[in-house]
Amino acid sequence: MTGAILFHELTARQRVAALVDAGSFSELLPPPERITSPYLAQLGIPVSFDDGLVIGHARIGGKKIYLAAQVGQFVGGAVGEIHGAKLTGLFKAAARDKLPCVLIIESGGVRLHEGSSGEIAIAETMRAIFECRALKVPTIAVIATDIGAFGGIGILSTCCDFRIMTEHGRLGISGPIVIEKWMGKKAYDSANRALVWKTSGGKTKYLLGDADALVHDTADAVRDGISKFLGKSSAVSLVSVKARQKELQKRLKKFGAASDPDTVWKSMGVRDIQAASLASGPEFAALAKRGK
Amino acid sequence: MKKPTQKKPSARAVLARMFGATVEGISIEKSVLTGYAAVDGKKVCVIGTCDGTYIDNGAALRLAAHVIECIERAPKTPIVMLVDSAGQEPNRVAEMLGLASYFGHLLSCLELARRKGHKLITVATGQAVGGAFLCYGMFADRIYALDSASVGLMPIAAMSAVTKIPAPVLEKLSKTMPSLEFGAAPFALLGGVEEVWSASDDIQAKLAAAIAASSTEDNRAELGKKRGGRKLALDIRKKVLAESAR
Repeated sequence: MTGAILFHELTARQRVAALVDAGSFSELLPPPERITSPYLAQLGIPVSFDDGLVIGHARIGGKKIYLAAQVGQFVGGAVGEIHGAKLTGLFKAAARDKLPCVLIIESGGVRLHEGSSGEIAIAETMRAIFECRALKVPTIAVIATDIGAFGGIGILSTCCDFRIMTEHGRLGISGPIVIEKWMGKKAYDSANRALVWKTSGGKTKYLLGDADALVHDTADAVRDGISKFLGKSSAVSLVSVKARQKELQKRLKKFGAASDPDTVWKSMGVRDIQAASLASGPEFAALAKRGK
Repeated sequence: MKKPTQKKPSARAVLARMFGATVEGISIEKSVLTGYAAVDGKKVCVIGTCDGTYIDNGAALRLAAHVIECIERAPKTPIVMLVDSAGQEPNRVAEMLGLASYFGHLLSCLELARRKGHKLITVATGQAVGGAFLCYGMFADRIYALDSASVGLMPIAAMSAVTKIPAPVLEKLSKTMPSLEFGAAPFALLGGVEEVWSASDDIQAKLAAAIAASSTEDNRAELGKKRGGRKLALDIRKKVLAESAR
């Protein structure tokens, strides 16, 4: 259907269409309802009829799911009051109906033009995600583009049960340009793409265990990845948080003084950095042992 | 960037106002607070930040460790979270190590505490901005702020610098759109803060009442609509829930 077109090259609605069973997507609050941001309108900035978020329900492999896809082309997929409320509502609907909720992320975080409303919306959505998790309703984040998951949405993605990434996807809080401004070009050259991706990209996140799957940059591969997690959930228990505490402590101790991402790759079993850099996501995953 | 004004009371003074003599049980290490104190004679667990510090991977872990300890050793003890942090410092190594995951872990620990019957109360005492507010403070059952606290996404000057929208334009709009205004009072209009406490308030009594009245039901969208600061969020959410139920 999408042939050789890469997942990260698709638009949000194309991504949805390429992921779900043919014709199964039903959009909630679709563009004809014309729900647009009053903040952007006041600032004279173009608005979007979906406020940069496509939400609805669909089926994947016959299983009913809720699904959201952020529109990166619209103010960087950033979360404003409406965008955020749609997201909160969707996770609450997932909890109510006990249906898995998949979020195709493409967002730099809070939409600055709307101030604190977007920040609160992200906090509310975090609560709704954990509502799902308490009910063992799977919550799955897909991070597949260079806009990636940053700021508050980067944090929010780590609240979901599972994160599926492609090698192209990036996950973090502060992006490279912000860090370069803060630390200087010598410490972090945001134009150094290899360094940028080794810092925040899918490969490193998978190695460290922050991404649960590293898949090819195609709709088919992303769908397969989602399918594997649809029946699963990751419980928040005393055992799980204690194990995670140990793991994150170990990671900080081991790599806290490392300045070169290659150190992380090497100690995680990647022998040939050059080959690993060029490898596709799944090839890379095979090259390195999992960083737990 | 974070220039402390002279009027700001010290971290210890703020703590003493909240916990009286029981402040002894709270240790401050590199501007991260952990410990136990009492409110109205009843034990509370305390985690937090002070001095407008940056919260990094290590700080998140120390806060998380204390929450885990509280769950294990002091079941159902209310957890009071104090926030005075400038956010996360943009740092490449922190990002490489997955700072977002460290914050997510802290949130998971707090969620576990909530599920196990610990009440979670936040008091924004100083700076409560950006990621540092999102990574624990805004996750409470109920959130309060001192009126001297700097609460919100960012001040208008910073917003203007990033969005390239002239500050006077934002200033003018903020008069009718509290979301754009920076501070505890406008944040409360959005529902993000339950109540703002002033210098003349009896903070210990306020805190005791807050713990007693706490509920795990997130009421922020309702508050935002009622107070008129965030008019759309609740209705949009309800619309999603209604349309999806059809």
